[in-house]
Amino acid sequence: MTAAAETKRATGLRMFAQPIAVVVLVAAVLAWAFTRDLDAIERQSINGPVLLDAVWDHLVISVVVTALVLIIAVPLGIVLTRRWARPAAPVFLAIATIGQASPAIGVLVLFFLLSGWEGLWAAALPITFYTLLPVLRNTMVGLQQIDPALVDAGRGIGMSAFAVLRRIELPLAVPLILAGLRTALVHAVGVATLAVFVNGGGLGLLIDTGYKLSRLTVLITGAVLAVALALLVDWLGTVAETYLGPKGLR
Amino acid sequence: MSFWEFVSDRWSRLLSESLLHVSAVVQCTILAAIVGVTVGIAVYRSPFGSAVATALTSAILTIPSFALLGLLIPVLGLGAPPTVAALVLYGLLPIVRNTIVGLAGVDGAVTDAARGIGMNRLGVLTRIELRLAWPAILAGMRVATQMLMGIAAIAAYARGPGLGVEIFAGLTRAGSANATNQAIAGTVGIVVLALILDGIFVLIGRYTTSRGLRGQ
Amino acid sequence: MASEIQLTEVTKRYGRRPPAVDNFSITIPAGQIVVFVGPSGCGKTTTMRMINRLIEPTSGLITIGGEDTSKLDPDQLRRKIGYAIQQAGLFPHMTVAQNVGVVPGLLGWDRGKVADRVEEMLDLVGLDPAEFRDRFPRQLSGGQQQRVGVARALAADPPVLLMDEPFGAVDPITRGNLQDELMRLQAELHKTIVFVTHDFDEAVKLGDRIAVLGDQSRILQYDTPEAVLANPADDTVAGFVGAGASLKQLTLRRVRDVQLSQAAVTVSTSDEPADIRRSLQEAGASFALMLDTRRRPVAWVHVREPRMRRPIRDMVSRESTLQDALEAILTDGGNAVVTGARGEYVGLVDIDTVMASVRELRENA
Ligand SMILES: Nc1ncnc2c1ncn2[C@@H]1O[C@H](COP(=O)(O)OP(=O)(O)O)[C@@H](O)[C@H]1O
Ligand SMILES: [Mg+2]
Repeated sequence: MTAAAETKRATGLRMFAQPIAVVVLVAAVLAWAFTRDLDAIERQSINGPVLLDAVWDHLVISVVVTALVLIIAVPLGIVLTRRWARPAAPVFLAIATIGQASPAIGVLVLFFLLSGWEGLWAAALPITFYTLLPVLRNTMVGLQQIDPALVDAGRGIGMSAFAVLRRIELPLAVPLILAGLRTALVHAVGVATLAVFVNGGGLGLLIDTGYKLSRLTVLITGAVLAVALALLVDWLGTVAETYLGPKGLR
Repeated sequence: MSFWEFVSDRWSRLLSESLLHVSAVVQCTILAAIVGVTVGIAVYRSPFGSAVATALTSAILTIPSFALLGLLIPVLGLGAPPTVAALVLYGLLPIVRNTIVGLAGVDGAVTDAARGIGMNRLGVLTRIELRLAWPAILAGMRVATQMLMGIAAIAAYARGPGLGVEIFAGLTRAGSANATNQAIAGTVGIVVLALILDGIFVLIGRYTTSRGLRGQ
Repeated sequence: MASEIQLTEVTKRYGRRPPAVDNFSITIPAGQIVVFVGPSGCGKTTTMRMINRLIEPTSGLITIGGEDTSKLDPDQLRRKIGYAIQQAGLFPHMTVAQNVGVVPGLLGWDRGKVADRVEEMLDLVGLDPAEFRDRFPRQLSGGQQQRVGVARALAADPPVLLMDEPFGAVDPITRGNLQDELMRLQAELHKTIVFVTHDFDEAVKLGDRIAVLGDQSRILQYDTPEAVLANPADDTVAGFVGAGASLKQLTLRRVRDVQLSQAAVTVSTSDEPADIRRSLQEAGASFALMLDTRRRPVAWVHVREPRMRRPIRDMVSRESTLQDALEAILTDGGNAVVTGARGEYVGLVDIDTVMASVRELRENA
């Protein structure tokens, strides 16, 4: 049994089981929370609009982060794999590695303290920095692992450097870029639970409120919804990875 | 107060928080390794078992750490117990996956030869298969450690030990003189410790990997 | 429509090391196949790649059809030079049709014309367009990939073709077939082809002229295969030519040069075993050649066991060398089956014919 076959089978299992888990989790926690005797404080959090708001904030942060990561990491990865820029690659990889080795909460709090910002951007920018590495690394690896003979063949039959990049290198790197993007997106959804500490809202707000005010129902509802959202996003990412990659490679 | 004044002022406290942080992560990694390798050994011969174990542990990894911590508080209370539980759970995936891959990757001809010269099943496992899979397992532990260093910081929210305490203290005292210094000390401290631990893993790898396997 | 290629005192240096190609001059006549043959690392690839400017020469002049290539835009230049490499270099995410259509697309042909051209090219290299058009490279065998590689190189009808060990990665039987195919194409198309290989037999078989290269692409001998075989310029070339030169000269003779014999009895796959036996007994022969409905050879059957089909493993074409025919005879025993362009049966080469040629070549040498 090879590692690839192993991963493939695990992926297959998750493709099937994960959406079921998400639906069950969400249905169970909502049914449980809404059928309990809620006190006034709990009712301020456990109600449709507040929950939707939290989920919405959470999604917005995650989507903004993903978009920023995509806009920054993919072009950077492309540039750093061009021959003329190769000496700069280790520098950027080192920065990105430190970014990921640093604690997410630390990066978030430091940015908050140093910039004085609050809300969406105070959460999205540091999370982007923290999440950049997987996409950057996968873009670079994806481009570097391409058989040089293919690039050679492309240039040899008269494609320009840009045409080779657009029509050969990037399509062939798409599977790895997508894998990196999925990792980044799941990271982002996870770290976005911390956005509450910089007043960025999201499902972390419910967890924090529940903890601070000792209302377990609120805490558990927030946490379970965050888990479900992460599983859902991860599943969507897996689906995208499976169906968006070039057909000839599947 | 400048950052360096702050650090020398609180040196002993920072040092003890650092030690607590590292010791929590290291102990939890070892615990996760014991559990993870056991799980790996139990499932690696069955394709279905391997798939389930990999799928489950990677699903755990997608759970936001703050949410998991929140879920553990009602069950385990505050302080060390939820911290340890969270760290061990997150540490499992890389270790389980690498154990399975490492064990499954052992050449069948080698285990055949070992059985052929009269080793029993346990002997083959401990003296051949685990030895050959060790570099992969160690690599899994290395990845786990790096990840846990960051997650351990969040555990301070549930009164867990370590440098996360400084970060959250900086957050609550936002605006006061030392808030930023505290957050920097906590964050940079964790990065530095993570890099040191990573270096130690490289050394361990060098001294515990059979020389016949190096350079692969 | 072919162009002469001329390299004049071309040198390529990498860094401060001794040059990879040193002061290389050659004229490659229009419409001919010139093979660069030499040991690995001697600079064949480097020399060839300077022609389409994948590598820029350090000094020297290269002209194609009298035009100085260094004055042209490299991408435009390469679109007019076919390029085929080892393992085909097919783009794995594109279908066969997309791969073949790349260069016409780059040249701005309209879709319909590209599609027509793709069909034509696949037909030309012996792949049924309906079957192969929409496949991806990984769904092809090594030999089929090479065919697509050649089709791609020829798609824009370039006057010049560069081929760098294009058949280096396929098994010997497939390689032989691909070589035959290339000979057949060249007989139709008359391109100027520069072909790089380290296989001397391949060079002798394909080349109108052979350039035997030594270190730093030094030309040891540049002549027709016959002349190189008969009079090696020095000991190095003689070493290359190797022992058994007269057997090797079998690669100079082609199946089309000898008289083909015919099978005493041919039968069809749908014939009853009893009928097969009767026809064989009537003709007084022991073996019949079985053809399918499109007259392609399938198997040999023996008079005593007309049910048992002995499949034919190796066939040759009119373009094949007698060396190939000899190999086929040794593989299948008795006769080599010769097929035409569509794979249809045209005749047999028997061992006597081959041996007669060997005797003749020896007497002439
Ligand atoms: N990009 C390069 N940089 C440095 N040296 C090279 C490069 N490409 C080829 N060489 C050297 O040039 C020589 C000729 O190589 P090549 O043309 O590939 O030989 P061949 O195709 O005959 O095997 C070799 O010694 C090789 O090491
Ligand atoms: Mg070469």
